[in-house]
Amino acid sequence: MNPELSKFATRLRGLIELHHFLSGEQPLHQNFDALALELFALQFQNNSAYQKICAAKNLTPQVVEHWTQIPAVPTSAFKELELTSIPPAARTAVFHSSGTTEQKPSRHFHCAESLELYEASLWKWFELHFGHQGELLFLTPNPKAAPDSSLVHMFETVRKKFHLPESAFTGNISADGAWELDFVATIGKLKSACDSAQPLTLLGTAFSFVHLLDYLAENNLSFHLPADSRVMETGGYKNRSRSLPKAELHAFIKKHLGVKSITCEYGMSELSSQAYDSAIRAESGVPGLMRFFELPPWARVQIISPETGREVADGETGLIRIFDLANVFSVAAIQTEDLGIRRGDGFELVGRAQLAEPRGCSLMTA
Amino acid sequence: MNLPHYFLADLPPEAELSPVIISAACDTLKRNCVKYLLPRSTEEIIKLLCAVGTEWLQPENKFRRLALEFGPLETKFSKAVLQRGLDGFFRQFTPENFHALLAQDFGDGVTSDACGVKKSGDEAQHAARSTQHIWRGPELLVHIAAGNLPNPTLMSLTLGLLTRSAQFVKCASGTSLLPRLFAHSIYEFDHKLGTCLELAEWGGGNVDLENALFAEANCVTVTGADKTLAAVRARLPEKVRFIGYGQRVSFGYIAREVLRDETIAETVSRAADDIVAWDQNGCLSPQVIYVEERGAVESDKFAELLGVELARREIAEPRGEITMEAAAEIATRRALYETLAAHRGDVKLWRSLHSTAWTVVFEHDVRYRFSPLHRFIFVKPVPDASVALHGLDDLHGKVSTAGIAAPPEKTRELAATFARWGVTRICPLGQMQNPPLTWRHDGRPALGDLVTWTDVEA
Repeated sequence: MNPELSKFATRLRGLIELHHFLSGEQPLHQNFDALALELFALQFQNNSAYQKICAAKNLTPQVVEHWTQIPAVPTSAFKELELTSIPPAARTAVFHSSGTTEQKPSRHFHCAESLELYEASLWKWFELHFGHQGELLFLTPNPKAAPDSSLVHMFETVRKKFHLPESAFTGNISADGAWELDFVATIGKLKSACDSAQPLTLLGTAFSFVHLLDYLAENNLSFHLPADSRVMETGGYKNRSRSLPKAELHAFIKKHLGVKSITCEYGMSELSSQAYDSAIRAESGVPGLMRFFELPPWARVQIISPETGREVADGETGLIRIFDLANVFSVAAIQTEDLGIRRGDGFELVGRAQLAEPRGCSLMTA
Repeated sequence: MNLPHYFLADLPPEAELSPVIISAACDTLKRNCVKYLLPRSTEEIIKLLCAVGTEWLQPENKFRRLALEFGPLETKFSKAVLQRGLDGFFRQFTPENFHALLAQDFGDGVTSDACGVKKSGDEAQHAARSTQHIWRGPELLVHIAAGNLPNPTLMSLTLGLLTRSAQFVKCASGTSLLPRLFAHSIYEFDHKLGTCLELAEWGGGNVDLENALFAEANCVTVTGADKTLAAVRARLPEKVRFIGYGQRVSFGYIAREVLRDETIAETVSRAADDIVAWDQNGCLSPQVIYVEERGAVESDKFAELLGVELARREIAEPRGEITMEAAAEIATRRALYETLAAHRGDVKLWRSLHSTAWTVVFEHDVRYRFSPLHRFIFVKPVPDASVALHGLDDLHGKVSTAGIAAPPEKTRELAATFARWGVTRICPLGQMQNPPLTWRHDGRPALGDLVTWTDVEA
């Protein structure tokens, strides 16, 4: 491993762990640009696949002056190239993108150091949004069953921090590799939460919530979970269940689980930081506040016009690009395929850039 | 734009359609058809269509002017693209072309009889048992139009007039302008024939309206996505004939013989014609162009020159506005190929700067790729046609048109090879979006499939 990258990772981890969200001193915020440029120079030097991409665009550390000019790599490139500075022998984990229909998944390689940083990053931001104690229920398979899921790794990290048993995971993997729910175990957890009157936080993908809610509806079951119970839902259906508009899914969750607060998470295997939407503020009853995603201070978002390639103005729609300092050993600047609306320093998620309903006779990727 | 309210699609958006209105419109259409259309001879109809077509080609024609003025907003094609597409279509409206179509689909010598009677010619010679063949069109012909391009709908209306059918065109929301203008131009020429046409606009899947329409129909044509076809087909009463034109793809093929200094400019220009036409949005538009290797001009050079030509066309015939989703799809695909190009010498990309107006991707992988359209073309080098067809393996039965640029002899060989494989239309490169009236849509006789015959035996 390149010692410079390791040093950077250690320093960043320190900054993340010591970060005080309410403090007046915001070293991550104040030094973001310097850190980003320093990391870019290191990645350019140590990540040959990335170096070629930058060189082809004539955007090298010698000419780039601001973090917004650092070349972003499309998430699809993680399927084709090994975008990592971790030598093959040192790779201890690889996270794959989760689409079931994809022939070639994205590959985000990790080693002990990169996982430490991932865990520091995810935990700091999670803790701010969800606290650090209480009962959690993860509607995903456990890490033994899904070792290549960055989401499951995140949940496992959180589970350990909360000192919860492994049974906090109630998902399974079916014979064909799809994620399923152990309904009996899940219902058991919901019941015991109700009996104990201890608030419960359910975490899962949109499709796992649909699986659960469809099951509850079919069996005429509904719960009124204890006050302060919460839901964290992370988007995407990936053809694993019927898809519901977000508002409908949330109404469904509230109806069958009796939960008032739902937070959405935006993350992907190619990143090491997540965005959460400000559901609490939105639901505080203050008019004019809307739900939008915010990244931690060590990551920033740009909304890029697909037409011009330039950053759009506030309130306009474009493709979401994320610069994640915690992606030290891969590539920090990630161009996603998701559309979002620029909202201040955050964004509102519009969704995956899919072709509008194909109209007419031309056969396209649908 | 203020057109008289001849058709349901002319009504202001707040006017709500109901099943009762649809049924009543169908009744009126059928009555008018009996009174005004059935008594006409085929020759009279051809004459009318040719007159309408000629008018559409006149710069001062009011319907053409309306189409070019308001079309860009509704159809999202630039004025130049609309103009070229419409002109190409209406230039086909000649008596010779209509006669060729009738002769092709019905046999020779059929056109003049008012009731569609064909008398067998040399019956003694052939000892044929049938001496008379009488065709008739469906009483009420319904078209469910796709709306991505106007021409297929105009062609459907034209064919239905030739079969003397009352016609109801259901346009997708926001896509009725050009069919309406065409119907108005017919109405203006011949009010009575105009009353045998109806056009309405609603979002597909409106079961109440569509069931009312299907209950009256004798034949329904559907152009569009395969799932739309399947959905309509499942809901048609048994007595109704279904003609579906589903999703298809097309490709260009360029032989090394035309990749010479003397012919390269024309070849590039013809390829650009096919990409620019309707902004590559139809099933006849190429998404991939296969280019033979070892021409005097190499295949990657062809791709580069195609980029230069597309940039030039963007000035004269700009691509229309596209949705955010379509732009995002183009940006996303470009980003991937740019990344690959940085790593592999066998992938190259040329693109418009600061816009998604055009993109050329050169790659050796011969598999046919679906392009995000809107002037995004793949150029793939191949040693010969068999390799190109290998790249199309997964698309058997889904390929419409091959546009060929090659010397005549080689064109014949290629045509035979492609036809054997299952390509249903082969045309010169540059003409892919400009099929003749006689085009057998997806390999089926477009006019012939509409009619029903009575054979009269001696």
